[in-house]
Amino acid sequence: MLDKIFCVDDDSITLMLCKKVIERAEFAKEIVTAQNGEEAIQYFHDLAEKQKAGASISYPKLTLLDLNMPIMNGWEFLDTYLQCGYQDLFKEAKFIVLSSTIDPHDVNQTKNYPIVIDFMSKPITKEMMESLKSKHQ
Amino acid sequence: MKNNSNKITLTYVLILMFVAVVGHKVVLNYSSNSSSETLHKYYYIEDLVLILFSGIVFKFILFRNDLKNKSVFQKLQVINNEIIESNERYDIVAKATSDTIWDWKIESDSFVWNKGIQGVFGYKKEDVGKTSKWWFDRIHPEDSLKMSVKLYSFLEQKTEKWQDEYRFKCADGTYKYVFDRGFLVKDKDGKPIRMIGAIQDVTKQKEEEQRLRLLETVITQTKDAVMITDIDTTENVIPNIIFVNSAFTDMTGYPAEEVIGKSPVLFFGQKSDILEFDKLKTAIQEYKECFIEMISYKKSGEEFWVNFSMIPVTNKDGEHSHWISIQRDVTEEKEKQKEREQLIRELTQNNKDLKQFSYITSHNLRAPLSNLTGLLNLLDDMTIEDQELKEIINGFTKSTHLLNETINDLVKVVIIKDNPSIQKEKVLIKEVFENVFNQLSFLISLHKPILKIDLEEVTILNINKSYLESIFLNLLTNSIKYRATTRQLRVNISSQVVDDNLILTFKDNGIGIDLERNRDKIFGLYQRFHNHPDSKGLGLYLVKSQVEAMEGTITVVSEVGKGTTFTIIFKNS
Repeated sequence: MLDKIFCVDDDSITLMLCKKVIERAEFAKEIVTAQNGEEAIQYFHDLAEKQKAGASISYPKLTLLDLNMPIMNGWEFLDTYLQCGYQDLFKEAKFIVLSSTIDPHDVNQTKNYPIVIDFMSKPITKEMMESLKSKHQ
Repeated sequence: MKNNSNKITLTYVLILMFVAVVGHKVVLNYSSNSSSETLHKYYYIEDLVLILFSGIVFKFILFRNDLKNKSVFQKLQVINNEIIESNERYDIVAKATSDTIWDWKIESDSFVWNKGIQGVFGYKKEDVGKTSKWWFDRIHPEDSLKMSVKLYSFLEQKTEKWQDEYRFKCADGTYKYVFDRGFLVKDKDGKPIRMIGAIQDVTKQKEEEQRLRLLETVITQTKDAVMITDIDTTENVIPNIIFVNSAFTDMTGYPAEEVIGKSPVLFFGQKSDILEFDKLKTAIQEYKECFIEMISYKKSGEEFWVNFSMIPVTNKDGEHSHWISIQRDVTEEKEKQKEREQLIRELTQNNKDLKQFSYITSHNLRAPLSNLTGLLNLLDDMTIEDQELKEIINGFTKSTHLLNETINDLVKVVIIKDNPSIQKEKVLIKEVFENVFNQLSFLISLHKPILKIDLEEVTILNINKSYLESIFLNLLTNSIKYRATTRQLRVNISSQVVDDNLILTFKDNGIGIDLERNRDKIFGLYQRFHNHPDSKGLGLYLVKSQVEAMEGTITVVSEVGKGTTFTIIFKNS
């Protein structure tokens, strides 16, 4: 069971679904959400600040990232995240792209980001969570 | 001569008579008082003297004659030598010119030929005729009329020299082109008495002439504009025109007189592409051939596209002497090309837009759909007491799943149509089948069809694995879905290698399809042929798309109530 999981998606129903599924699968203790890339970056930024200030923080070891979001989409978020160097700051933070896209180009793009460990298609299901548990435990 | 000998005889007789008379007179003088004996003696001496004298006169006459003969003989000798030499010269000349000489004595119609008639025309000496008729008979029938008219009018005009061209028959029956020249000899009244001619074999020249004339017609009659220029570029970058054919005038509106001596630069104007013009300029400076296309101007000022070629020409010494340019009006082709390019641009853009649209749409459809599915999945774990509510949620679930599958299938179709070149790999067919059976294990255990698999052991295809899997999945699912409830489902799957092709046969004994009604629709999109609740009308469309994406073909044979057989053929490359 993870301590914290971060769900980033512009669709509130999807977020609700994610929450419910994660709860049912007993996948994580705490679920944090953001509605677009910018909010997500802001979250990590705040964490970074707190860490700099000396406080010990817990960051989400796994983030479920949607691609199609307003203001800042999934790719832009990842680029910004890497630019800020957060992958070094949050060493164990990994990302899973959760999307309803069919564009094979998108699937291939995830391979360019080492911090993205998997690509999953919506909708998220309990079984997916179970298999994740066994895959990455 | 007769006169001469008469003269001599008369002179001889006269001299002797004179001598006889004188002698007689002398004897009479001396014998007035002599005896008859002495008289006889004197007569005897007179006779002897007479004979002696006649002998001397005779010798004298003969001597003079001899002298005369000798001088005549010598003169004849000289003349003879001259004649021989003259003949020799004539023979050599005839040989050198290979002319055939004829000599026609008009009055007596005697026609004599020299050796040329044998050498050039192949006649044997005995076959050569001796009259003018023999000559006329051998003139080509098409030429003889014209030639004789000319000849006779010449004879009547009584001018001295004559020449004509005609065809003369050789001994083997073929005709040679000849050039004949004659000289007329007239008597002192001006009447033609003799004509001597020399025939030259001009067959080669004639043939060359005809060949050149033929080549000339190419230039004069072709529909392509031909222009010849010299090589002088001091005045203009393109040398001056020395010849244009009529097609050129037709194309540009400029008659030959107006452009000869001028440079082709005057055909180009405002809209003519500078780059192409430079190409031409450079090629001319480098004596290289050049092909350009640019806008040119007719005399009327009208613009047109011209395909312009410029080729350097060398004379027989290998020196560059002219430029030849062949031009064609390609305005129409250019227009069509532009239209075509425009069309392709529009289509490509359209296509791109459509693809973009289908991606976006499908994505926007899938997002809420995934939510629906997710929500329904959550319901699975919750117990619902209310029966009606349960029923409603069931219906909800089913419809949502159907919607999901439809969209998934459509998405697959979009992907297939989008990818012209798909990933191919060597696939073991047996393996794919095993995979498919695994996926359908539930269905198979439920309906327990009898599966007869007849695959040639090592059947490997170079194709896309997931497509093949999808195809088998679809076909097998169909067979199970549309099984005949009255009998056990049998499915026969076999493969065969024939020449370069792999033939897969998928046969079932299900309910069959009415091909008479549905032949055209069977692989169509959203086409269903019966009321089965599970059918979306996409499966076969998907199968066909996938087969064709791998450059294969699929055909179906079916009978209602008996079963269906699908035949898929792949190229085994």
